[in-house]
Amino acid sequence: MSKSILGLFLDPNHAADAMDGLKESGFERGTFDVLTGTPYPEGAFGEYVPQHRLFRFPAFGAIIGFTVSLFLTTATQLAYPLVTGGKPILSIFAMLIIMYEMTMLSAVIFSVIGIIFESRLPNIKPGIYDPRITEGYIGVVITVEDEDLNKAQKVIENSGSEEIKVV
Amino acid sequence: MSTNEHHMEWPPSDPKVVKEELFSSTKKGSSSLKTISKFLGVLSVLGLVGLIGKFLIDGGDQTQWGYVAAILAFIFSVTGGAPMVAIAPFIAKANWARPISRMAHVIGASAVIVNIIIMIPLLWMLPPLVVEGARRRSIWFEAPVYSPHFWDFLSLIMLAIAGLGLLYVSALPDFAIMRDNSEGFRKKIGKFLAGGFVGSTVQWSTLRMRVGVMSTLYFFIYIFVHVVISIDFSLSMVPGWRDAIYPMAHAMGGIQGGVALVIILAWIMRKYGNYENYLNINVFWALGRLMFATSLMWIYFFYSAFIVFWYGKSMSDNAWLDLLIRGPMVYVFILGMLFSFVFPWWWLIWNKVRNSINGPVIGAFIALIGVFFERIRIYVPAWSVDPKLIHDKWLTVIPGTLYPDIWDILLILGSISFVVLTVIFISRIIPFIGVWEVQQFNLLAKPVKYIKAHGIRVAKPD
Repeated sequence: MSKSILGLFLDPNHAADAMDGLKESGFERGTFDVLTGTPYPEGAFGEYVPQHRLFRFPAFGAIIGFTVSLFLTTATQLAYPLVTGGKPILSIFAMLIIMYEMTMLSAVIFSVIGIIFESRLPNIKPGIYDPRITEGYIGVVITVEDEDLNKAQKVIENSGSEEIKVV
Repeated sequence: MSTNEHHMEWPPSDPKVVKEELFSSTKKGSSSLKTISKFLGVLSVLGLVGLIGKFLIDGGDQTQWGYVAAILAFIFSVTGGAPMVAIAPFIAKANWARPISRMAHVIGASAVIVNIIIMIPLLWMLPPLVVEGARRRSIWFEAPVYSPHFWDFLSLIMLAIAGLGLLYVSALPDFAIMRDNSEGFRKKIGKFLAGGFVGSTVQWSTLRMRVGVMSTLYFFIYIFVHVVISIDFSLSMVPGWRDAIYPMAHAMGGIQGGVALVIILAWIMRKYGNYENYLNINVFWALGRLMFATSLMWIYFFYSAFIVFWYGKSMSDNAWLDLLIRGPMVYVFILGMLFSFVFPWWWLIWNKVRNSINGPVIGAFIALIGVFFERIRIYVPAWSVDPKLIHDKWLTVIPGTLYPDIWDILLILGSISFVVLTVIFISRIIPFIGVWEVQQFNLLAKPVKYIKAHGIRVAKPD
């Protein structure tokens, strides 16, 4: 059965030491993480920063919006062929505004979906946590099997944690 | 050593103190704020009465709706322009803008309801693309006759989604603070809006991306909304008015008003919210320079358009001059030029004025009034044009000066009041200075002493 350990640190250097200690003790990267109330520069604690795919969402949304708008404007112009000012029935300049608007609308909607998805939100079961993290404490959290519990706890303790929680 | 020991006003370094100080403004409400809110509430209701009265009395006469169009253009452009003040420095990694970015996002989201309420009757009054059996000139060419009505409304909705989205993503970590440090109803709201944000590596690493993506999209949408609304609600209603730079000038005016609004709100928060340490002289100095730059941009855009008409001297060029410069709104034009450019330029040109707390806010008030006059100068004459002339090659009959009636005045006061009331309402939920942004500011910037001089050392991580 797996358990989660949360070590609370006041000194960011100690938290970084705990992260290093867990790495050196052979725990797989991705099984432990750092929780902060402030966005420290990426890699400040030597944490594993997973690659995100946020940019794909607006791009994908934009492609869908553009395709739908292209179809919509083309279909409506072909369905009601009105020659205006001697211009061709399929006039790209007349289509551009609707195409732009639908592309942007779709990109925005997909971005919002992407933001929720990529941020792992809503996080219904956030796991082990302490509200003091929003007061400047830094949490080092690791999920381990029972047999590794003591080893992980010792690493965190030895790094100078103020408090340890096990759930 | 606490950073407050430095001579310069500086945020406290203890995150707990920062959190408590910034969240305190959401909890306490002075009796004068309550009185102001009630007064604004009454004015907002009167504004709605004004809009309904306008619709009932002038619902059949398009030429009477210029002030309604002007107030919509004013509100959506200045509130929509405010987030641009946060977006540009965010992209440029400018540290000074961190304390004002939340305010800019709040202003951007504050006019969503007002814009939609005013837009609905205006769409009713906007002529279709086919008038008296003939298609009028527009950017919609052979599109269905109610295309501007549908797509302009959708564009405004899109701006609202982007504005609310930008505010939400940037406020997410503060909702987590609200969840962790409050009780009762606030805790429930925080829990719901934070959505399980715990400050993990993934959540923080996507934060910057989230704000960046939403900011970029907001910028594209903001400019687009200005293009379609400025053209459909003013330019295409005047026969013969062709001006390629006009939509951009319109957007620029909105950004000028947005900068002004952010300065005014920052000044109010500093003075009445006791945020001297957060909104220090550096913030006002930087904003003052932006205010000065946008005032210069006004004259650049105006002159670029004006010179074409002035030297063009064709019938349509003269009609433009007669309608929008020396015509029915000549005094409003003069006031608009004075308040949008001459006064703020002359005021903010002095470094001593820009490098002060009160100097930029005076310039901001002046510029905001200027944007208001500018919107009236453009929209009221454009809507006053006789609809029967819409197919003419150029305007041959210049309409007379249209003064606001009681319904217009009520609507103007009410809609502005409702925006301010919305801002006050949002201030009761989230702090107007982002807690996480101040904490990051403290992580990355430190006041330092160089021999006998003082400066700020700023880290800019990749």
